[in-house]
Amino acid sequence: MAAAGGLRRAGWRLWRGRAVLRCQLSPPQRALRTSAVLRRVSEEQKEPLASSSQQQFDSHPTDPRPEQEPQGPRPSYTGQGGQESEDYESEEQLQHRILTAALEFVPEHGWTAEAIAEGAKTLGLSVAAAGMFHSDGSELVLHFVSQCNTKLSELLEQEQKQVQLGEAEKKPTEQFLRDAVEARLRMLIPYIEKWPQALSILLLPHNIPASLNLLTSMIDDIWHYAGDQSTDFNWYTRRAVLTGVYNTTELVMMQDSSPDFEDTWRFLENRVADAVNMGNTANQVQSTGEAVVQGLMGAAVTIRNLAGLNQRR
Amino acid sequence: PAGGVSLRLCSTRVTLEGINKPLIERIIRVDHAGEYGANRIYAGQMAVLGRSSVGPIIRQMWNQEKDHLKKFNELMVAYRVRPTVLLPFWNVAGFVLGAGSALLGKKGAMACTVAVEESISDHYNSQIRALMEDPEKYKDLLQVF
Repeated sequence: MAAAGGLRRAGWRLWRGRAVLRCQLSPPQRALRTSAVLRRVSEEQKEPLASSSQQQFDSHPTDPRPEQEPQGPRPSYTGQGGQESEDYESEEQLQHRILTAALEFVPEHGWTAEAIAEGAKTLGLSVAAAGMFHSDGSELVLHFVSQCNTKLSELLEQEQKQVQLGEAEKKPTEQFLRDAVEARLRMLIPYIEKWPQALSILLLPHNIPASLNLLTSMIDDIWHYAGDQSTDFNWYTRRAVLTGVYNTTELVMMQDSSPDFEDTWRFLENRVADAVNMGNTANQVQSTGEAVVQGLMGAAVTIRNLAGLNQRR
Repeated sequence: PAGGVSLRLCSTRVTLEGINKPLIERIIRVDHAGEYGANRIYAGQMAVLGRSSVGPIIRQMWNQEKDHLKKFNELMVAYRVRPTVLLPFWNVAGFVLGAGSALLGKKGAMACTVAVEESISDHYNSQIRALMEDPEKYKDLLQVF
């Protein structure tokens, strides 16, 4: 009797929950929210209900939501107690997964909402999931750039560990910068056809803060792993110079048709050499300047002596 | 050496989890700028009063400031904080302030020094108060102060 009453109450609560959600939320949010609500409701039912009614309860969630299936490797609805923690992912994680899946459709569809929709489809979600994002493909490009930067950081961290363990030689700065920029630009090769479109998206005014942030943190990372420890204005000049090198090389790469982008890497080599020379030149200019000032001071003291003015009273 | 911050080349990263990065960055950047400015003030004073009787005193205080600046340089690299973009300005302004106050005579130079030190210590105290909100997390930095 009690179990039946409990089941009726559970059914009522479930029906009410779903009705409310249907009115309020857009499809993808609803998908997440309903699953979360249902799981919470199912939690509440655990104590009063017997296991049989619990299983009947569980069968409901699987039917109307086929998108839960792709979360395949995780045990979705096998157990009664373990559901909540394994399956529940944040909206951000879901967005990440959709965008990552969408990347493979970029060569075909470009950096657009169509690519995102295709990506959502491979995850078993409806194409309406692309409605979560802007219609101009901004998030897709930013997600990709952020992923590349993370990969670059990991690569540089690995190299640094190897040097510390003595497994590899420490590269000279010029070589290090060249390799780091080359490694980062090579990540663009699979998407090189559509990269000009991506660049124009990154330059849209509402994307500029984010894309600038990603660019500056990447350049800072490269210099950090290159061993830069400057604490004066050099900090800025070095980063500005490397940013210039990176941007110009990226543009050259867009128009490069040589095998394996040889021309690009040669261009990069020359630019980095210029940059390093610029540093040396700056030092030379400064020391020349200092020498000239000292010469003038010496001349002034001599004149003062000659004129008899330099007498300590 | 205070703080226990390790300084291997390239891997000067302090564990950055759980600390308020923007707060730390602001603190280190401002303090570094302050120490740099103080250095330039003493340089200016030395340029004018270097050969007078207070010369040795000023030089001694200048050396202390050089130590402080060195410490902040190390912290800056360890926490990967960017230096202030106004450094060239502080370079000139500090030198001019030091030279100007020295031209007012020895008393002027000393008065300038006292004023600067007072305001620095007020500033550091308020930073310590900010860091003391979570002493464990900021142990290293507090030791420096």
